[in-house]
Amino acid sequence: MLSRPWLALLAALAFGVAMSFGSGSALQVATFFLINVLLAHSVNLLTGYAGQISLGHAGFFGVGAYACALLTRDYGLPLPLALAAAMALASVVGYLLSFPAGRVKEFYLAMMTLGFGMIFYEVAKEWTALTGGMMGLSGVPSPSLRTLAVFGMAVGPVAYLWIVLAIVVVVTVLLHNLIRSHFGRAYCAVHVSELAAGSVGISEAATKRSAYTLSAALAGLAGGCYAPLVAYLGPDSFALSRSVEALAMTIIGGLGSLPGQVLGAALLTYLPERLQIFAEYQFMAYGAILAVFFLVLPKGLAGMFAAPPRFAKTHAVVSLEPTPIRVPHSSGEGPLLRVENITMNFAGLRALDEVSLQLERGRVLALVGPNGSGKSTLINVISGVYRPSAGRVVFKGEDIAGRKAHEVSRRGIIRTFQDPRNILHFTVRENVLLGAHRLYRHGFLGAVCNSRAALREEAVFLRRVDEMLDLGGLAELGDRVLGELPYGTQRLAEVARAAVSDPELILLDEPAAGLSDAELEKLAAMIRRLRERDLGIVLVEHHMDFLNDVVDGVVVLDSGKLIYRGDMDGMRRDPEVTAAYLGVADEESVRA
Amino acid sequence: MDFALQLIFAGISVGAVYALIAVGLSLTFLVSRVINFGQGSLLMLTAMVMVALLGRGSAMLSAALGALGLAAILMVVVEWVAVRPVAAGQRTDTMGWVVSTLGIGILLQGFAAKFFGSQAVAFPSILFSSNDFVSLFGVRLSLQYLAVLALAVALVLLLELILRRTQWGRAVRAVAHDPELASLMAIPVRRTMLVCFVLSGLLAGVAGLLVAQIAGTVDPGFGFNLMVLGFVAAVVGGMGNTFGALAGGITLGVLEKLVGGYVSTAAEHGIAFAVLMAILAVRPQGLFGRSELLKA
Repeated sequence: MLSRPWLALLAALAFGVAMSFGSGSALQVATFFLINVLLAHSVNLLTGYAGQISLGHAGFFGVGAYACALLTRDYGLPLPLALAAAMALASVVGYLLSFPAGRVKEFYLAMMTLGFGMIFYEVAKEWTALTGGMMGLSGVPSPSLRTLAVFGMAVGPVAYLWIVLAIVVVVTVLLHNLIRSHFGRAYCAVHVSELAAGSVGISEAATKRSAYTLSAALAGLAGGCYAPLVAYLGPDSFALSRSVEALAMTIIGGLGSLPGQVLGAALLTYLPERLQIFAEYQFMAYGAILAVFFLVLPKGLAGMFAAPPRFAKTHAVVSLEPTPIRVPHSSGEGPLLRVENITMNFAGLRALDEVSLQLERGRVLALVGPNGSGKSTLINVISGVYRPSAGRVVFKGEDIAGRKAHEVSRRGIIRTFQDPRNILHFTVRENVLLGAHRLYRHGFLGAVCNSRAALREEAVFLRRVDEMLDLGGLAELGDRVLGELPYGTQRLAEVARAAVSDPELILLDEPAAGLSDAELEKLAAMIRRLRERDLGIVLVEHHMDFLNDVVDGVVVLDSGKLIYRGDMDGMRRDPEVTAAYLGVADEESVRA
Repeated sequence: MDFALQLIFAGISVGAVYALIAVGLSLTFLVSRVINFGQGSLLMLTAMVMVALLGRGSAMLSAALGALGLAAILMVVVEWVAVRPVAAGQRTDTMGWVVSTLGIGILLQGFAAKFFGSQAVAFPSILFSSNDFVSLFGVRLSLQYLAVLALAVALVLLLELILRRTQWGRAVRAVAHDPELASLMAIPVRRTMLVCFVLSGLLAGVAGLLVAQIAGTVDPGFGFNLMVLGFVAAVVGGMGNTFGALAGGITLGVLEKLVGGYVSTAAEHGIAFAVLMAILAVRPQGLFGRSELLKA
């Protein structure tokens, strides 16, 4: 399988050697294929992992190409510096684009990126002084014209192929490491569920910004490599069709698969050439192949020929002895959580009406009430999904009402959802590891280079994940893809994900719903383990027997109002609670 | 002043056609969540086929109907080959529709280039001659532009009426909202979608004929830019909002003509896209769209 790193490297070497003996045009096409791999990687990072569709990648590609061409031709900058500058410039453009683009989704995002690509194209066409306009820009130092030199040595087509091949290999390895780090998992999380991402401390905006910046840098690098190859740049090389082709490469290869990008780039580079035997029908044949491609290969090329990608550095556990990291819990004065007079209105509907409650460390509070009474709304307010209309949420002495979900999560409040929100193409272990996101300290460089510190940190959290999987009875399922497992497992995985994040307050929204008796026991085991850690737990639940075993106190909501606060026995005798549930004050039937 | 009014009028006309394209695009997007990248080729092919039919001696009306019929049938094929098997919103969204609809577009373009030639062909004057004018408040209004405007606006309004007032229109909106729920309500989801695709093909075909009428010629590359401008109109107006599309299309058309007339024709498209990005940055749901609430 292509995903085995050494085999892939060997294949790259073999490709380089084979091509070195090729004709001039074969070399040209081979180098172009490698550049397409870079471009496909770039689109894949943004669209495949972070889920942001792009119809404007030709813009980033063009920025890199023109930058490299002008810097090497007019300023005599050496190629490596020019490539670095091309990357830097494109990444700045990507960073800037991420601000408007981060605000829009699906169709609108497609149109915004398309707009960006078209504006770039128009500018390239009209800014004659810089780009030569429609006449194009010629005389770029080029290997095929023997005018390119790197560090004083002339670079011919063969040497240039090896340079680009080396760049592709390095970029692929770095991406491989990135995708398996907490950065890569954050991209996927933002893609699959923004709510889940926020709940584990991933900032949606910052993650998208980094994806755009990085993706643009890669496209800029591809463009930078493209300029010397062709020696002449015309605006039509950066028109919408190039953007669409780049997206098509990524999709055909398989979104989210690194080997897939190589396959997709190879197909779209070499297919049009092979179709020349159809002569005048070449264009039609190409269109027809694209049209039926997914009818024949529904999973793309990667689905056929490559193993699915993985998102954790599981090898870190065996290779390094972890040293434990602990996040210090500041003890602080007063109660852990104080909800003060929270009111929440939705367009005329009052979902919460002046609700107040309080929770100490080491306590488990049940939140009970009929459907529609406002339990989930309260959880959403505390966890930062909703901004309350009025009132305060004081956590460790700080008012956090109205803060964004990821900010709340980073302060130590972790939640689960009424319908579990997991990343279904992650394994159980990867999903649970996602919970540790807020605890990671190693940076981007460490992650892409697999530094010792980064691997050690990954190992620590993977151990913690395994411990929690054991407790939840999920140990044997750790390497299974979560989407293929039953509902109960998905619920338990979500609770485990919350548990490994080392929370100080954990909000569980109906964790027992839909669980079998055996699963309930495992859930209870996880909750008991959490209690030992001196943290606060809020449990929304209908399952009274389950609550009996684990809670210290209970709060009852009805139609947005708090109607009872006390212990479980008291609740059963409370006439108002009984009325809320049954409509009549019939004590016996509640007890039974 | 006259010059400005001329430009504005031409912009309104062209913009109404953009709106027609936009409505067709958003109709299929709403029910299938797929952006049909082949729509531009369909515009082109309808006009090309009409020219070819006229060349073989067909009457004007039968040529137009034949070309439109082909557009409708092609959209059924699009739905069948390129959309249904790879539709978005499945559990594993591979975005295969980008590739498949694009492939259909390339196929149609290649087909047109092969059988009708890759050069521009003259499109006959169906609605008046390009030299017919009426004078209104001292402005010379081209009858062709007037007819195009009237037809485009009438069609957009008709569609809006159908969507709002008929049982079928309500079914479309239900499917757009949630196909699964709609099917539980005994709405024939598949058939509703198919009809949307056929309608979208007809709208695209009419738009293609109208633009070809104004432009006077068609060539195989003719549709792509138009489709992109249709996208812009749809987005400016807010996806799925018919009146929004009309307003968006006309704003875009007028702006383009004014920029083309006073600044430079080269800047026309650049301006259109700058407007698009600015609007999306300020109002991510389009000028007339409503934002969707996230529920946890």
